[in-house]
Amino acid sequence: MVFQSLTDQQLDALKEVSNIGMGHAATAMSQLIGQTIYLKVPHVTVTDIAAVPEILGGPERLVVGISLQILGGARGDILLVFPTDSVNRLLTILLGDAHRGSELDDIATSTLKEVGNILASAYLNALGSVLGLTLIPSVPALAYDMAGAIADHVLIELSQEGDYALMVETLFHGTQNTPDAITGHFFLLPDPGSMAVILRVVGNPL
Amino acid sequence: MSENRLRVGIAQFQIAPPPAVLVTYGLGSCLAVVLYDESSGLGGLAHTLLPHALASNDGQRREKFVDEAITMMITELNGRGCATENLTAKLVGGATMFEPSPGSEKEPIGVRNTRAAREVLKERNIPIIAEDVGGNHGRTLEFDLASGMVMIKSVRGQHHDLAL
Repeated sequence: MVFQSLTDQQLDALKEVSNIGMGHAATAMSQLIGQTIYLKVPHVTVTDIAAVPEILGGPERLVVGISLQILGGARGDILLVFPTDSVNRLLTILLGDAHRGSELDDIATSTLKEVGNILASAYLNALGSVLGLTLIPSVPALAYDMAGAIADHVLIELSQEGDYALMVETLFHGTQNTPDAITGHFFLLPDPGSMAVILRVVGNPL
Repeated sequence: MSENRLRVGIAQFQIAPPPAVLVTYGLGSCLAVVLYDESSGLGGLAHTLLPHALASNDGQRREKFVDEAITMMITELNGRGCATENLTAKLVGGATMFEPSPGSEKEPIGVRNTRAAREVLKERNIPIIAEDVGGNHGRTLEFDLASGMVMIKSVRGQHHDLAL
């Protein structure tokens, strides 16, 4: 299975099913933080794995990454990336006075993993019902470091099977699209082996 | 100095003479392998992802594998007049960025990458004269061919700046 050979129609189908999942994830996030969450139009990118850190905002940018594997009828990875300032705003909303300073303590880490879990579960539930598959997220893992170093984690998985990554990326943001709104990136990176399963279900078989 | 900076991307390697500075950003579990011939000043930097190629990796880029990237760099350095016995190595990266999921018995990839590099370099009798590997933080490195020094920057590790 090579990502480069997917047709536009297949990529659109993938974008569409991902968007349904994102709608549910955004609803869950809105309820969690009491703000409307807006979604940007998703991007589907087939890219050389070497270019992925740039897509995450540059390899040295300090970000929080929450990584979950997709288990069940299709496999893949979900990576949630939050810029540092958005993480602090998110934690202030969720933890109130218990959140101090910029270092991530145990409570902050655990809270962020739970946010990842809620978003990924909502996303995968919706995606699974569209596809007629059972999709469940693994236990979330979190890292706070350079975007490039965080991207390594999923790139290594993908590079075992090829030199390309297929990413469905959705940018979301809080109430106002102002500089101090909470923003995040939600990435779906399906395993090459699971693309056939997904595309067959959405009626665009390989 | 900036015109001498050459960026080495993921799954790439580059060989350069002084006064070049080879740079690679945001190493997580990826491993950077530095080879240097002090007598000629020529050196190379590889940014590798995986320890070894498997049969299923046929037709893919060879530079992403630790063993193949090292072999390719040695071949190119030999071709440019460096004897293998004059080469020294430095290893950087190979971290474990996310804690392994419970029940996962597989050794973390960063650890496997580092071991693969040590094995290949030992086979080739190339001494590893310095290393900053493992841990759970990302690293950026600059390899200055003029001095043979490797500068490591991290934002989360114990040492924010480290010279090897």
